[in-house]
Amino acid sequence: MEQLAATGDTWGVPGPTFLIFYVALIVLVAIVAAAHRRALFAGNRTTQVDRLGPQQIAYLNGGDQLALYASLGGLRAAEAIASATDKTLSQAGPLPSGATALDTAVYNAAGNRIRAREVRADRWVAAALEQLRTGLEQAGLVVTADRQKAARRWALAGLALILLGVARLVDGLQNGKPVTFLLFAIFLAVAVTLRFWRHKPQRTRAATKGLSSVRGNYDYLSPAQSPSYATYGASGAAMGVALFGTASLYTMDPAFAAEAEVQRNNVGGGFDGGSGSSCSSGSSCGGGGGCGGGGCGG
Amino acid sequence: MVVAADAAGADAVADVTTAYGVGIGWRPEIAGFVAGLPGLRFAEVVAESVHAHGDLPPGLQELLDRGVTVIPHGVRLSLGGAEPVDPERVAHFAAVAERLHAPLISEHIAFVRAGGVEAGHLLPLPRSYAAVDAVVANVERLRAATPVPIALEPIAAVFDWPDDELDEASFLTEILDRSGALLLLDVANVYANARNRGTDPLELIDKLPLDRVAYVHVAGGADHDGIYHDTHTDAVPQPVLDLVTALCERHRPPALMLERDGDYPPARTLSDELDAIAAASGYPAVT
Repeated sequence: MEQLAATGDTWGVPGPTFLIFYVALIVLVAIVAAAHRRALFAGNRTTQVDRLGPQQIAYLNGGDQLALYASLGGLRAAEAIASATDKTLSQAGPLPSGATALDTAVYNAAGNRIRAREVRADRWVAAALEQLRTGLEQAGLVVTADRQKAARRWALAGLALILLGVARLVDGLQNGKPVTFLLFAIFLAVAVTLRFWRHKPQRTRAATKGLSSVRGNYDYLSPAQSPSYATYGASGAAMGVALFGTASLYTMDPAFAAEAEVQRNNVGGGFDGGSGSSCSSGSSCGGGGGCGGGGCGG
Repeated sequence: MVVAADAAGADAVADVTTAYGVGIGWRPEIAGFVAGLPGLRFAEVVAESVHAHGDLPPGLQELLDRGVTVIPHGVRLSLGGAEPVDPERVAHFAAVAERLHAPLISEHIAFVRAGGVEAGHLLPLPRSYAAVDAVVANVERLRAATPVPIALEPIAAVFDWPDDELDEASFLTEILDRSGALLLLDVANVYANARNRGTDPLELIDKLPLDRVAYVHVAGGADHDGIYHDTHTDAVPQPVLDLVTALCERHRPPALMLERDGDYPPARTLSDELDAIAAASGYPAVT
C-alpha cells in the first residue's frame, strides 16, 4: 500500500502535466492582471499636465512632501517666509498674490513659528494637501485609493497560486517525487505576486508622460543650469523644486533649505537628475576670480 | 598681405550690414528668460561653455531652431599672448562656430595666460607695435581654422602700461587694419575707461572705424572707491545708455546686446534693460 502510493502520481496528475498547467496558469494570471492593472493606472490622457501649477506638478513628482517643498520654495522666493537657526519658520512678508490654498496654509502655519518638518502635520496644511490630491485624482493624474486596492487584489490571485504550488510541493516531497522544476515555478508565482503587491504607482501613466514633457519645457530650471531664481521669480523657484526636487531648494537658498530641514533629493521616480551641461560657468569673465575685483573687462 | 587685409575688410563690411537689433548674452542661469524673448534675433554664448561635439546646453538648441543667430564669444583664447594661441583651443572655437552655424565669432584683445601661468582674468596689452604684431599673428592663426569673420573686443582696464606707444584708438585701428578683423565694441568698457581716466568717451568713439563694428556689448557696472568697475553684475547706468545713443547717431551698429554675467535681476528688470537699449539705439524692442 505504502509502495503503491509512492509510485503513483501526486493528486493523480503526472508531474510534467501539472507543471505545464501550473506555469500556464501563472502566465495567464500575470497577463490578465497586467492588462487590468494597466487599465487601472492609465489615467486621463486628455488632461494637459503642462497647464498645472508647480504644487500639482510637485505632487505628481514626489507626493505630499515635494508639494510642500514646492510651496515653501515659492513662498521663500517671494520673501513671504523665513527660517531661523532654531529651525522654525516665520512670516517675513505679505502672502504673495496668486497664492494657492496650500501656500496660504503653509504661510499661516509659518506664522505659528513651527518647524518646517512639522508643517505637514498642520491641520490646514493637511487639508490643503488632501484637496490637491483630490483634484489630481479627478483629473486622472493620481491613482485613486480604490484603484490601488483593485490593482493590489491581484496579489491575492498570486497568493492562491503560491499556495497551490506549495501544497503540491509538500505532497510531492512526501511522495518522494522530484520537485526542482516545481520549485522554480513557485518562485515565478512569488515574483509575480510580489510585483502586484509592491508596484503601486501613485501617479497614472498619463501623468508620467505629461511630466516628462513638462520637464523638457522647464529644463532651464534644472540645478545643473544654476538657474537664477531671482530672474524666474517665485513660480520659477516653485516649479524648479517641483520638477527637479529639493536640490533646487539647496541651490536657491542653502541656508533656508538647511534650516527648514529639507530632505535632499526628494524627488519621485523616473527622474534622471544632475545631468546636463558640464560647463562650470557661462560667464564671459573668464572664470577664476570672477567679476568682483577689477571688473570683467569684456 | 595688404591686399588680403583689404579683401577681408571688404567681406567684413558686407557682413555687418545685416541688422540683428538688440540681443543678449545667453547664460545657462537665464536660459529660460532668453528663450522667452519673442523678438530676439541674436544672442551670444561663451564659446568655452559649449561642447564642440556633445550636447548643446539645454535651451541653446531651441534658440537655434527658432532661427536666432548665436555668436560664440571666446574668453580664454589669449589672442594677445606673446606665444601662439593654443591649437586645441583654436580647434574647439572653430568647431563651436561651425556647430552653431555662427556668421561671426568674437574674442578679446587681451591675454589670459603667459609663460604657462593662468591669470583667470582678461589682462590688458601694452599698446605697442609688438603687441599689435602678436595679436595680428594670433588672429591669423584663428582665421586659418575657421572661415567665419572674427570680431575683436577691446577690454576695460583700470590702468595703462607705462610703455604705450599708441593711443587706444590707433592701437585698435592698427590691429583691425592689419588683421582684417571686425570690432566688437563694448560701450561699457569705453565708458569705464574714459571715466576712470577723466576723459570723454566720445573722443575715442569718434576715432574708431565705426563701419567696422560687428556688434556692441552693453553692460552694467558700479562705483567702488572712486573707480568705476565694469562688473556685468549691476544695472546698466544711464550714461552708458546715453553713449549707446551717441554711438548710434554717428553710425548705428547692426547689433547691440546686453551682457550680464551674474547677480541676475528679476525678469522684468532684465526686460527693462533690453528695452532701454532698444530705445537708446532706435531698434525695435525684443521683449
